[in-house]
Amino acid sequence: MPAALTDSAGDQRTGDPAGRPLYRRLVRDEFGVIAVLVVIVVGVGLFHPDFLRTGNLLSITHNTVYVGLMAGGIVFPLAMREVDLSVGGMYALCMVVGAVLIRDGLGTWITLPAMLALAALLGALNGVVTTYMRLPSFIVTLATAMLFRGAGLALADGKQITDLPQNDSFFTFLGGNSGGVPTAVWFFVVLIAALTVMFTRTRFGARVRAIGSNPEAAEFSGLPVARTRIAALSLSGLMAGAAAVFSLAFFMAGDPTVGQGYELTAIAGAIIGGTPLAGGRGSVVGAAVGCLILSVVASALAFFQVPINWTTFATGGVILVAVGADTLLRRFRNPRSAGA
Amino acid sequence: MLTAAGLVKHYGGVAALDAAGITVERGEVHALVGENGAGKSTLVKIISGAVRPDEGTVELDGRTVAFANTRRAAEQGIAIVSQELMTFGDLTVLENLYPLGGPRRFGLVSAREMRRRAEPVLADLGLNVDPSARVETLSLADRQLLEISRALLQNPRVLILDEPTSALPRAAADRLAKTTRRLADRGLAVLYISHFLEEVMRIAQRVTILRDGRTVLVGEEISQVSVDSMVSAMLGGTAPPAAARRERAVRGAASVALTGISVPGRLRDVSLTAAGGEVVGLAGLQGAGHLAVLDAVCGRTRPATGSVRLPGGAVPRSARQAVAAGVAYVSGDRKGRGLMLDQPLWENVTAVRRLGLGRDGPLPSRRHMVDRTADLIRRLRIRGGPYDLTTQLSGGNQQKAVLAKWLDADPSVFVLDDPTRGVDIGARAEMHEIVRDLANGGKVVLIASTDLTELVDLCDRVLVFQRGRITEEIDGPELSEQALSRAMNAGFAASL
Repeated sequence: MPAALTDSAGDQRTGDPAGRPLYRRLVRDEFGVIAVLVVIVVGVGLFHPDFLRTGNLLSITHNTVYVGLMAGGIVFPLAMREVDLSVGGMYALCMVVGAVLIRDGLGTWITLPAMLALAALLGALNGVVTTYMRLPSFIVTLATAMLFRGAGLALADGKQITDLPQNDSFFTFLGGNSGGVPTAVWFFVVLIAALTVMFTRTRFGARVRAIGSNPEAAEFSGLPVARTRIAALSLSGLMAGAAAVFSLAFFMAGDPTVGQGYELTAIAGAIIGGTPLAGGRGSVVGAAVGCLILSVVASALAFFQVPINWTTFATGGVILVAVGADTLLRRFRNPRSAGA
Repeated sequence: MLTAAGLVKHYGGVAALDAAGITVERGEVHALVGENGAGKSTLVKIISGAVRPDEGTVELDGRTVAFANTRRAAEQGIAIVSQELMTFGDLTVLENLYPLGGPRRFGLVSAREMRRRAEPVLADLGLNVDPSARVETLSLADRQLLEISRALLQNPRVLILDEPTSALPRAAADRLAKTTRRLADRGLAVLYISHFLEEVMRIAQRVTILRDGRTVLVGEEISQVSVDSMVSAMLGGTAPPAAARRERAVRGAASVALTGISVPGRLRDVSLTAAGGEVVGLAGLQGAGHLAVLDAVCGRTRPATGSVRLPGGAVPRSARQAVAAGVAYVSGDRKGRGLMLDQPLWENVTAVRRLGLGRDGPLPSRRHMVDRTADLIRRLRIRGGPYDLTTQLSGGNQQKAVLAKWLDADPSVFVLDDPTRGVDIGARAEMHEIVRDLANGGKVVLIASTDLTELVDLCDRVLVFQRGRITEEIDGPELSEQALSRAMNAGFAASL
């Protein structure tokens, strides 16, 4: 290969990845969002050193786990030009079902896989309906979002389901701390890492990206498009189920009204983290970091004593600024691709 | 009229243009030729304002101009019809003609005024379509004419046609060539880019040749050149490899057999067998049915009656099944059906084997994939590295990448659909060589092409289709462009 083609600074275009420093190989496209997160955290810390207390940072992270897991899962449908609007409703339904099962005496550690299976199944249902009714996943999941939440409301009779065995290891372990850090945060890190490997290194992840990049070429190359779509939506459901498990373990109650609008926050986090709606690309780590940015900003507003009712407004602003800055940075780093 | 001089443009470390220039006069058709990657597209992009040169100037009527974007260039009377079709399929013909909104009345777009202005232009180009028809219902040839109509409605002084006939069947290409001449006779300056040198000889008055970013022949009178001299100027003295007629190989056991297949509206009771070791051509005018045969073999159309048998007895019921049964589909539509342009080359080249067939397991080793890609890059002489984004390769190299991704999967049947569309002579000859090798190795090769010389060069025999049936089979020694053209048009001549 001629040297001229490989020596330019353009990061993803050329160059042997092995020739890059380790941290660039690990984070690559995520570098930007991670930098933004660090700058915001340090920036807020300059004014309010209390913000940097470990306890505060951990609690922000803990609060992000639920939406963060959904965002990590939703990267898969987004990268193949699909969307999943049902994760919020699915999250609530799984939590209610889990709470009902435990209340009615099913063992907690049997309930856990049951919740995950239900979530994966509901996600697969989204995929099956999308594929075999030839409808856009946008419409299918818009409808199933209401179906799922409605089922949760009906099942719980619109009320919280409490009176669960709070001393059960399920609640004390998954809802508690391990080594000073919420157990959910450990699992969050592990699951995001696993999803990243799945997205970047496995055949399934490559199929997802290939279909998102050019659906027609994928079809012509013999890719199992229908099966991959069902699997991607099922995975997105599974992550909503995982979020429901940790949520149930922590709050020790099944609330059918939780997670309203989480699907949009998750999508926003994914987009901030570098997963465009146009498909073909994505980043699970980026999605998780994107959600952390949203949480950090919301929490920082409280430190600056901004009235709570301005949080939504600020979140909207953060999404616009983050996505806009990312596009600008890309153009700056690689001016050629901007016009193309 | 239009003069570009001393143009230099670097992309990264690579010089796309290095001291290139051209002068186009009013009333002439000026041809710009060169191999893919010679810099034609870059030169055109600079003239039309899409790209700014690192050095050099563009003058229009003696004034130096530097267009900020293509819209500014259009306002100055430079219209371009690009190689890739830029029509909006969901919109109507009229809406496509006025991408910027069109004439207004009372502040609203006036369809009547649009129609009044457009009709003479459409009629002049011989485009007989309903202005309110949706563009996706138009044939490829008509869409190309639509693009030219759109350019002409801007009342340009300079018209740039970038490979306008590469996707067109012969008759439409001829008509377009005549139209181009007529436009020039009316005082337009036409810059005509084409790979078809015979066509250039017929319609251009002067020719400029680019090689490796430099102009090696500047505005030479067409009477002073020949196809051969242009080819050697493009390639730098070395003659292209002669297309030696292939000794027909020993027939392999593998074969594709179609028995009495019918597809409503496309094919009527067609039977054919293609054996391993032979290259079988499928020819016909648009809608004649030859492309429906390709669709049937690739599992994209299921015939209403009859059967398709692939080697090993498989019946292709879907594109996926066809690929699994060893059918490769090499499409000239590299942007749509062929490649993921936003992905690195290695992701594309290994896509069929790794993702379609799943033969590299659930956790494919990236190192291994890149090595395999590097091998194919060497074998097909693709200019680019495994990590290069595919969109940054030239058209010819992209087309080789399409071939590479199928070679990677080692199929037994090759279905070629206009496999060298818009590819330069050198790359085309190299691809043809590979196709011959495949046939010699016992593969079944079926090919359809809008380029008749390609069929003549490659095929052992050609089946000619009309109205959904095979009307003629032209074999070995009788195979020529004239014979093909005659067979394709037989029976139609009276109605034209």
